[in-house]
Amino acid sequence: MATDPEAIDAAFFDELRKYYSEEEIVELGVFIGFNLGYHTFFGTLKFYPLFSPDGRLLTQAESEKIYGPAPGSLKAAEPSR
Amino acid sequence: MTYVAPLPREAITDPEMRDLIAQSEALGVPDELFARILARAPEQAKPFMRALLMSHAEGNVDHRLKEIIRIQLARFAGDKYFAALRSRKARQMGLNEERIEAGCGDYEDSDLFTAAEKSALRYADQMYLDPTKIDAAFYAELKMHFTEPQIMELGAFIAFHYGMQMFMRALGAAAPGSAR
Repeated sequence: MATDPEAIDAAFFDELRKYYSEEEIVELGVFIGFNLGYHTFFGTLKFYPLFSPDGRLLTQAESEKIYGPAPGSLKAAEPSR
Repeated sequence: MTYVAPLPREAITDPEMRDLIAQSEALGVPDELFARILARAPEQAKPFMRALLMSHAEGNVDHRLKEIIRIQLARFAGDKYFAALRSRKARQMGLNEERIEAGCGDYEDSDLFTAAEKSALRYADQMYLDPTKIDAAFYAELKMHFTEPQIMELGAFIAFHYGMQMFMRALGAAAPGSAR
């Protein structure tokens, strides 16, 4: 959905239906869409994870040192038009 | 037909969901197709519908500006369904197709928009085109025209609607009244 929406066709949904109900597919779809939109928005706000990889609570400054200067959510965004 | 078929309208019996569908039909965005697909996941459907309607039609940012941004984003997402819908409220407030096309096109050189409106259109345009450009300087420019609550309202609106547009594109939703 994020990187190659053209690849999601009828056959793709047939494959999903082998494992998920219609209700679950809709739930997954809106969840993915929601996260697709918000992660980029949060990335522009320079949000960093509140926790270290080993689970310690971090300040934003500490988190930036661990996770780097550019939020990962900004790296994958590609135009789909 | 979308890859996930919408529930028949008569199968939706929850009073709140029926009320949300009536609200969306009154506004014109989304129309009942989106709501009837969402209704297949009833626990998800109501909060998503409430948030979608509230983020678009309420708040402290001009609804007409948000309507232009919503259409700009839908075209960017390649979503024919949401791109074809129009807010009746925005139309009643004076928004016309000329202004929508200008906002979705070369708005930077248009004299139809104020500097504030251009900065909001740029915010949406760049969010999914090149979000690395939305940096501290970009937010400083936005703050010249909008309060921080308004910027959060705009950003959340952009993120939420773009996400739902990508979902509808993935479902193969066509423009209302047209064949896919």
